[in-house]
Amino acid sequence: MLPTKERLILEFLVSEGPMFGLQLVERSGGALKRGTVYVTLGRMESKGLVESEQETSDPGAIGLPRRIYRPTALGERMLRAWATFTREVAWEVKP
Amino acid sequence: MMPGTWLLKVAPLVFNERFIDIVVRPTIADLQSEVAAAGSNRAKRVRARCRGYAAFWMLMLVAPFASWSEHPPNVASGLAAGSVVVTLLTVVALGPWTAIVAAGATLVALLLHAWYEHHPSEIAVPPVAWRPPQINFSSTDIAGNIGGLIFVVGSVLIVSLALPSIFWFLLAGGFAACFVAWGLAAWHTRARRADWTCAGRPRRVLL
Repeated sequence: MLPTKERLILEFLVSEGPMFGLQLVERSGGALKRGTVYVTLGRMESKGLVESEQETSDPGAIGLPRRIYRPTALGERMLRAWATFTREVAWEVKP
Repeated sequence: MMPGTWLLKVAPLVFNERFIDIVVRPTIADLQSEVAAAGSNRAKRVRARCRGYAAFWMLMLVAPFASWSEHPPNVASGLAAGSVVVTLLTVVALGPWTAIVAAGATLVALLLHAWYEHHPSEIAVPPVAWRPPQINFSSTDIAGNIGGLIFVVGSVLIVSLALPSIFWFLLAGGFAACFVAWGLAAWHTRARRADWTCAGRPRRVLL
């Protein structure tokens, strides 16, 4: 079972490459919230679906470095398997 | 001072280290980068700050339910979780008006307190030493000044927030009360001239 938000995040990361959390929120058009996106990403990271690293900040940069996320091989396989599963189920239930 | 600096100081009181590293720091980093990206545009900076702080306080609400956290939550986190559950239950059981009414009542209480701290006024002590306990606005002694006005307007606002269906009744009642009060004041002024005091109480002035 792949929750909707996790599927959405994986779709963005697979199709558009590594992204920051805020970029995911902006791209989702309201489906992801900035107050909870990192909780979801943290859960996905503990499942092994995504991996993250801190951005390399410039010497003159101010503020905390952001965290950039990319899908793991497991995450990509999971997304493909879920897409296949939902397609098959949709075909089965089609009248 | 960078926005979010004090949030980083508060975070260890509520969240464990792993949660701070994975969730809180990126959230504050987003706040700071968005504020920095806003440049010198004051409206954009304020908007970025509001969004960032709202995201942080949303984390306060969802953190106790983040099941993937490996470390047990600390005391403050448990307290936050308990508060969230009680608030949610209250709002679900009694409706979101409860929270609005509570916030309105707190605001009115603070206004009243601030007013009387700066403008203490004498209130007549009732002659009877003992009074049966009751909640009755009509028997509450208030001064005829801005503090009294805040009390009346605040009370009407709170009741109308709690019972919006009687808002027009309260409004009409307010106008009727003003009309009666005006008539009484005019009658007393004519009967006792300008130096009358209301049943021996200190003269009340509006401002």
